Amino acid sequence: MTATKKLNLKQKYQYLTRDMDWEPSYQKKSDIFPQEDFEGIKIVDWDGWEDPFRLTMDAYWKYQAEKEKKLYAIFDAFAQNNGHQNISDGRYVNSLKLFLSGVSPLEYAAFQGYAKVGRQFSGAGARVACQMQAIDELRHSQTQQHAMSHYNKHFNGLHDAPLMHDRVWFLSVPKSFFDDARSAGPFEFLTAISFSFEYVLTNLLFVPFMSGAAYNGDMATVTFGFSAQSDEARHMTLGLEIIKFLLEQHEDNVPIVQKWIDKWFWRGFRLLSLVSMMMDYMLPNKVMSWQEAWEVYYEQSGGALFKDLERYGIRPPKYQDVANAAKEHISHQLWSTFYQYGQATNFHTWIPKKEELDWLAEKYPNSFDKYYRPRFEHWDALQKKGERFYNPTLPQLCQVCQVPVLFTETDDPTAFSHRDTVYKEERYHFCSEACCEIFDNEPEKYIQAWLPVHQIYQGNCGGPDLPSVLSDYYHFNLGEDNLDFSGSPDEKRWNEIKGIKPLDKDDVA
Amino acid sequence: MTYTVTVEPTGEQIEVEEGQTILQAALRQGVWLPFACGHGTCATCKITVLDGDVDVGEASSFALMDSERDDGKVLACCATVESDVTIEADIDVDDDFEGLPVEDFTATVSKIVDLSPTIKGIHLSLDRAMSFQAGQYINLNVPGCDGARAFSIANPPSKGHEVELHVRHVIGGSATGYIHEQLKVGETLPLSGPYGQFFVRSSQPGNLIFIAGGSGLSSPQSMILDLLEKGDERQITLFQGARNQEELYNADLFTSLAEKHSNLSYIPALNDAEDDADWKGFKGFVHQAANTHFDNRFANHKAYLCGPPPMIDAAITALMQGRLFEKDIFMEKFITAADGADGQRSALFKKI
Ligand SMILES: Cc1cc2nc3c(=O)[nH]c(=O)nc-3n(C[C@H](O)[C@H](O)[C@H](O)COP(=O)(O)OP(=O)(O)OC[C@H]3O[C@@H](n4cnc5c(N)ncnc54)[C@H](O)[C@@H]3O)c2cc1C
Ligand code: FES
Ligand SMILES: [Fe+2]
Ligand SMILES: [Fe+2]
Ligand SMILES: [Zn+2]
Repeated sequence: MTATKKLNLKQKYQYLTRDMDWEPSYQKKSDIFPQEDFEGIKIVDWDGWEDPFRLTMDAYWKYQAEKEKKLYAIFDAFAQNNGHQNISDGRYVNSLKLFLSGVSPLEYAAFQGYAKVGRQFSGAGARVACQMQAIDELRHSQTQQHAMSHYNKHFNGLHDAPLMHDRVWFLSVPKSFFDDARSAGPFEFLTAISFSFEYVLTNLLFVPFMSGAAYNGDMATVTFGFSAQSDEARHMTLGLEIIKFLLEQHEDNVPIVQKWIDKWFWRGFRLLSLVSMMMDYMLPNKVMSWQEAWEVYYEQSGGALFKDLERYGIRPPKYQDVANAAKEHISHQLWSTFYQYGQATNFHTWIPKKEELDWLAEKYPNSFDKYYRPRFEHWDALQKKGERFYNPTLPQLCQVCQVPVLFTETDDPTAFSHRDTVYKEERYHFCSEACCEIFDNEPEKYIQAWLPVHQIYQGNCGGPDLPSVLSDYYHFNLGEDNLDFSGSPDEKRWNEIKGIKPLDKDDVA
Repeated sequence: MTYTVTVEPTGEQIEVEEGQTILQAALRQGVWLPFACGHGTCATCKITVLDGDVDVGEASSFALMDSERDDGKVLACCATVESDVTIEADIDVDDDFEGLPVEDFTATVSKIVDLSPTIKGIHLSLDRAMSFQAGQYINLNVPGCDGARAFSIANPPSKGHEVELHVRHVIGGSATGYIHEQLKVGETLPLSGPYGQFFVRSSQPGNLIFIAGGSGLSSPQSMILDLLEKGDERQITLFQGARNQEELYNADLFTSLAEKHSNLSYIPALNDAEDDADWKGFKGFVHQAANTHFDNRFANHKAYLCGPPPMIDAAITALMQGRLFEKDIFMEKFITAADGADGQRSALFKKI
């Protein structure tokens, strides 16, 4: 055995992090890192921080550049070969509209969030990890937009996703989620995004979208998914490291972190209801049902995780049982809502086809035929009579998650779950006990919520009538981007691509 | 044909025979590489080939993805070499690991002692002295049993010419059955060693807690004897768990050591002694004894756990709830063929 010692990855990474740090001489550390204390988190020793990914900058650039090269070669080939013609069905593109306006802007928000907190920690290891993740997230946002931009040439509704993200009523659900995280302190941000979202819930977002793309012939999006996967492994590791680090640093951190886990689990669960609808209703070729995904990716994996976390004195998220029980219902309730408000969405909605209704009945034996199928059949009958149902009144939004008050009570799927509370002589409304509790913990934060429905009524979103809000403020091309898929220009174009003759009115659905 | 494999970042070199995996060769030659399943499914042993020709072998396509193969990654437990090779492994150089080479020995049974109704002390004299670190184990080959069985060395390294084992009779176990029922003084058995990452991190400060269950007193006995011989002045607290007084063995040894050495405390705990009026010591599980003794506060200690998996599990939970965490906890789990993969695990802990 000879020993010629060379730096290992860990040491190299330490040079990149700790050794780029210095002790300030003429400024107080607390002035340089003013956000580190106010959340009540106590850090005894930043040296306890284990670098979650030991990737040096030179290796990072090399690796990512190579991935990018491969990725863009595939995007180019996809565009040249008119890859959009190979998707399963024209309706599939609506998932991409939802993704591009709902998720890609979150990648950008994540970039901003990590760049911001990457400035706020006095521990250099955490700063560098956040900066690297910021770069990853910026790439994700860009590559997603590039992956999907080809579709914009052939389908409607994809032309102004970032603006829609900022303005469209239901997109305030994802937007406010990240705004809530980014306006929190740096430790809460990491607990919210790195741990609760990237570690605990991310598989419920990416697996459905990426497998959904694969099942529906969308090779551009699939390839993006592969390229992001290796980054996600790092992000998930950061999520675990931050939680271990906080819990090990001081026992006073445990109750604070518990509260954040309770809150961000619930916020994430509400956000993911959009994915549940995408999985069960928007993918023409289904991957698995929302219920199945929830069981595998949350109940099983999350169960194992929270069993291990118990050793730190952490219990499973407070409203976990409510979320578990809701797995048989949320996708149906949400699609019903979007169907009714299909005049105000940047994607198309539709009544599922007969085979799709049967698939739902099979996947949801306890709930679908009993509570939801009759509703769809009723609307279908109206639609066939030429009376496609659109709900003309605006919904009541939850002050916290901003989802319309549309979900039901755990023990009664026919009763809306609705809570309210009075704060400073104003009444606020919530979709659930959990959202109400989040509000009660930080009322001054949530009374500032920008609720799209309120804003429309206050005249802050153009107007005076709904069509002008949709066209002038949301930038929808009315009659092209919105309304039912059946009869839409998208449908017509898809039928032309596939050489399908327009269906008889009676065969629709 | 034999090739030389250089392991970065430590620069250690090993000789790998044709057909032998890098992991096999490394472990035999005292170079520790991370590994777990040993057969290409878990990816724990992933390494990078910096130079030379390597055959990836039977690596699962999930544990080693195509893109990683293109990047020169291989799984050490499946990979064989076809030239001199340099690899890089993600190893933290543990300053206290001596990397003593694994060798084959011929052992002659010199003494068999009944330590308890279920545990025998097996004393083996070796054909030559073995260098090992207190806490490590050997692999013993027992007649009529396929493959070797792991047993921890109970004697201190200063007595390298002998190996003392504490062997618990596992119900339905072939090797431990043989040892308990048929093994005779004078018999010879092949063994190899030393193995393992369970040893005292002497360079890490902090008082020491040992928690031993059943025949898991073996390693702690070796480690404590070694520490005392070397005059280590840190506080050492040994918790030994057993069912009842009959099962509690070597208590006299540790009682008298504790009398002689002011830095050693010895706390036996019996979990099945409710009705034993004779027993004045702690009644309950060994981790509960530790909780009581330290008032649920373990911070700033280093803990060494040894014994059956359920005991280790309970002890880890107790220590963590008393605010001692993964990096300060070291353990040897006495795993047997009966301990299947224990359900789904999260990635929260690396070695626990
Ligand atoms: C690092 C290490 C150090 C150890 N040190 C010690 C020590 O110092 N002292 C000590 O007493 N023990 C120690 N052990 C445990 C010891 O190695 C085992 O008890 C021993 O290997 C059992 O061998 P056996 O042939 O008697 O049992 P085996 O025949 O291997 O069977 C063990 C048990 O598993 C069951 N079993 C067998 N095959 C299967 C199967 N396929 N599926 C399910 N169940 C099965 C058997 O019925 C039996 O109950 C150590 C273990 C490890 C890993
Ligand atoms: S040790 Fe599990 S894959 Fe090699
Ligand atoms: Fe991302
Ligand atoms: Fe991410
Ligand atoms: Zn809500």
